[in-house]
Amino acid sequence: MLTYVAKRLSQSLLTIFLTVSTVFVLIRMAPGDPAYALAGPLASTGDLEKIRTSMGLNEPLFTQYGIFLKELAAGNIGKSYSFQAPALDVVLGRLPNTIFLAVLAILLAIVVAIPLGVWMAKRADTKRELGVNVLTIAGQSMPDFWIGIMLLTLFAVVFPIFPSSGFTSWSGVVLPVATIAILQIALVSRMVRREVGSNLAAPYLTVARARGTGEQKLTWAYAMRNSSIPILTTLGTRFAGMLNGVVVVEVVFNWPGLGSLVVRALETRDYPLIQATVLVTSVLAVGVQLLIDLCYPLLDPRVRLGKVSVA
Amino acid sequence: MTRSDNVAGGSGFLGEVAQRSLSRRSLLRWGALAGAGAVLAPAVTACVAPSAPGGGATGSTTLTLGLNRSLVSLDNKLNQFDAAVTVQRAVRQALTEIGDDLKPRNVLAESFELTSPTQWTVKLRNDIKYSDGSSVAVEDVAKALEMYSQVNGSFLAPQFPEWPTVTKKDELTFTLDTKAPLPVLSTLMSNILITPAAANKPEELQDGVGTGPYKVASADRGTGTYKLVVNENYWGEKPSVSEVNVRFMSEESSRVVALRSGEVDVIDSITPDSVAQLKSVDGIEIESVTGTRYNQLFYNFRKAADSPMSDPKVREALSYGFDSKSVVEGILGGTVTSAKGVVPQTLAGAVETGEYAYDPGKAKSLLAGLGVSNLSVKVIWETGEFAADVSIMEALVEMMKEIGVTAELQQFEPGGDISSWRQGKAGDWDILGNGYGNQTGLALTNLQGMYAGTAEKEATRDTYHGFVFPEISSKIITATSETDQAKSTALLTQVQKDIWAKWPCMWAFIPNAVLARRARVDGVKLRPINSYQLSTVKVNG
Repeated sequence: MLTYVAKRLSQSLLTIFLTVSTVFVLIRMAPGDPAYALAGPLASTGDLEKIRTSMGLNEPLFTQYGIFLKELAAGNIGKSYSFQAPALDVVLGRLPNTIFLAVLAILLAIVVAIPLGVWMAKRADTKRELGVNVLTIAGQSMPDFWIGIMLLTLFAVVFPIFPSSGFTSWSGVVLPVATIAILQIALVSRMVRREVGSNLAAPYLTVARARGTGEQKLTWAYAMRNSSIPILTTLGTRFAGMLNGVVVVEVVFNWPGLGSLVVRALETRDYPLIQATVLVTSVLAVGVQLLIDLCYPLLDPRVRLGKVSVA
Repeated sequence: MTRSDNVAGGSGFLGEVAQRSLSRRSLLRWGALAGAGAVLAPAVTACVAPSAPGGGATGSTTLTLGLNRSLVSLDNKLNQFDAAVTVQRAVRQALTEIGDDLKPRNVLAESFELTSPTQWTVKLRNDIKYSDGSSVAVEDVAKALEMYSQVNGSFLAPQFPEWPTVTKKDELTFTLDTKAPLPVLSTLMSNILITPAAANKPEELQDGVGTGPYKVASADRGTGTYKLVVNENYWGEKPSVSEVNVRFMSEESSRVVALRSGEVDVIDSITPDSVAQLKSVDGIEIESVTGTRYNQLFYNFRKAADSPMSDPKVREALSYGFDSKSVVEGILGGTVTSAKGVVPQTLAGAVETGEYAYDPGKAKSLLAGLGVSNLSVKVIWETGEFAADVSIMEALVEMMKEIGVTAELQQFEPGGDISSWRQGKAGDWDILGNGYGNQTGLALTNLQGMYAGTAEKEATRDTYHGFVFPEISSKIITATSETDQAKSTALLTQVQKDIWAKWPCMWAFIPNAVLARRARVDGVKLRPINSYQLSTVKVNG
C-alpha cells in the first residue's frame, strides 16, 4: 500500500513538473509582450527594453527556464507583474473562493444528481423518465454563461432576490453555485442512470431479487454500490476541473476566484501569475485524483491498490 | 487508477480502515448529510445574510462604484486609465488638477505662477495634512518628481520634455526650474501625485496615504476591491458620502445588471448598446460629455516610398470612401463626435482643420486620376480598442468595396502581439484602429505624442506609426517652449493645418465619456477626461 502511495506521489510530482514546464515554454512562445502589457502603448522602446531586462525576459529561453527551476526549488515562483506581489500569494488569496464555489456546487450535484439518476434508472423507458431525461439533456446542452445570465436576469433584476455579482454577502453564492451545479447535475444524473440501470439488469441482481431481497436494498446496497466507482471517478474529475477555475461562471458573476484571475493574467501576459495558477491547480487536480484512487477500496472491498487484477 | 487496478481478495490497509473506522455505510451516510447541507446552506444563508439589492449601497451615505478595470494601485506612476482617476484623486492629490473647463487649477498648491520663462514658483497650502496626520513638505514634491522620472515605462515620461528640479525657498515655497521654457508645467503637474517622501518609491505604491477627501479603510488588490472612508484630516470641505466601495467588474453585462439591481450606484465606460438599454430604465440616469480621447483609423507612415499609401492624395481618397455619418449614427448610436481636426476639439489649443466627408464618387475618381487600381489595404486593431470595434471594421470592408478597394482585417486579442505589428516589426499593415487618451486637457500633449516624430525616435520605432515630418515636429517643439501665448497659438494652429494636409487618418472620432448612475446619486459632474470628483457626490435616501 505504502509502495503504491509512494509510486503515485512520484507520478504526481512528475505530472506537475511536466505541466508547469510545458506551460512555461508555451506562454513564452505565444504572441504578446508582458512589458508592453504593463507599460502600455506610449512606452518607448528603451523603456520596454528596460522592463524586459528587469523581468529577465531578454535572457535565452533555456536560461529563463533554469532560473525558474532554481527559484521554484527555493519555493519562489516569482512576482506578479500586474500585482507587484508574490504570484503564489495572489493565487492562494483567490483559491479559497474557487474551492468554496466548487465544493458547494459538487455537493449540490451529488445530492440532486444521484437520487435523480437512480430514480431514472428504476423508471427507465417510462414517460416520466423520458420527461426528466429531456430536462437533463437540456441542462447538459445549455452553456453555463447562458444559464448564468438567465439566472441573473431572473433572480437579480426581475426578482431582485440575490446579488448579481461578487462575493459581498453569503447570498452571493447562490446563483454561481446554481449555475455550475445545473450542468453537473445533468451530466452526473445521466451517468448514474446508465450505471445503475446496467447493474439493475445484471444477473446477480436477478438472483438476489429471486431470493427475496428488498427493492431498496437491491437498489442502494447492490446496484448503487457497484456503480459507485465510476460515479466517484466522474465526480472527482468534474470537481478537479472546477478547481482549475470555473472561468466563465467566475467572469459572469464577477466571482473573485482563480478563473477570473487567470483570464486577467493571460490578457496581461503575467507569466509568473500564469505559472503560479498552473502550479496550484495542477497540485489540486493531481491531489484530488490521488484521493479518489485511495477511496476505491472504501467503496469496493475487491479493489486492492497496487496489485494486479486477478478477477 | 482505473477499475482494472485491482479486484483481488485479502485485506489491504485502506480496506481495513474502511471496515474499522469508516464503513461504506457511514461514508454514504456522511456524504448524504454533507450534500443536504450543500443544498440548504445557500438558501439558509441567503435568508440570514444581507440581501443583495443595495447590498453595497444600503446606507444613505454609502456609494458603490463598479469599475471596468481593476484598480491594482491607488498610484499612477505606470498607467492611468480613466475611471481610476476618480478614485486615485479621492485619496492622493497633486499640486494642480484639470478642472471641468480642462484648465489647470490649484489643489495642494496655493499659488502656481510662472516667474520666469524657465521657472515656476509654487506655494503650498498651509492647511494640508496627509491622512496619517503628517504635514505636506516641499521635499515630498521633490521626491515625487524624482520617483516618477525613475519609473520605466511611465505614461507621463513622454509628456515631460524634461523633468523640473525643485529648489526649496522656505517651508512652503519652492521653484520648479527647467532648462527650456515649459509653459504647460502647471498642467503636467496635475498628474504627479504627492506622497510622503519617506514612503515614495520608483514604482506604483501599494499603500494609500494621501491628502484627498478619503482614505483607504480596506483594500484587496487581488480582486480590485477597496473601501474608502472619510479622511478626518482632509483640508477641504468634508465629503457628504461617508463610505465609498470600489469594485472591479470586468464584464460590462455584469456592471449593467449590478446597476439595474441596485447593487452598485455608478458604472463607467459603457458602450452605446448599454447606454441605449439603460436609458429606458427607471431610476437610472446617464451622464455624457464629449471626451478627450482621440480614436482613429490611422494610416501607416512606414510604407515604402513607392507604395500608393505613401501618397497623401490616396489616403484622402480612401477617407472619402468611409461613411462616417452612418457609422456614428448607425453603429455608435450618436455617442461619438466625428473629428474636425487632428486632435479632439475639446482640448485647449485645438483648431478645426477640416471634416471627414463621405463622397464615394470623388474617392473613385481621385483614385483613378492617381492611377491607383486594385488597391488592397490591411487593417489591424486590438479587440476593445474602442466601442463596437468589430462592427466598425466590418463596415469599413464594405465601404472600401464600394470604391474598389479590398480591405483585409486582422484582429488582435488584448495582450497579443499587436505591439510588434504597430512598430512594423511583425508584419506590414496599412490602417490601424487605435486610440490616444489625454489627461492634460492640452492639444499640445496629443501633438507631441502623435505628430512630433523625429528620425532619431524612428530609429527605435518610437514615433507614432512612422509619422515623421521634421517641419511639423520642429514647430511642435517650438510651441512646447513658447511662453508668448499669441505666438504659441499661431504656431499650434499652423501645425495642426500642416498635419491635416498629410491626411494621417482615414477617420477619427472622439467618444463621449459616459457613465450611468442610480438616480439617488447626485453631484456626479463628469469631466471630459472621464472622471469626476468623489467629494462632491451625494447619495439621497
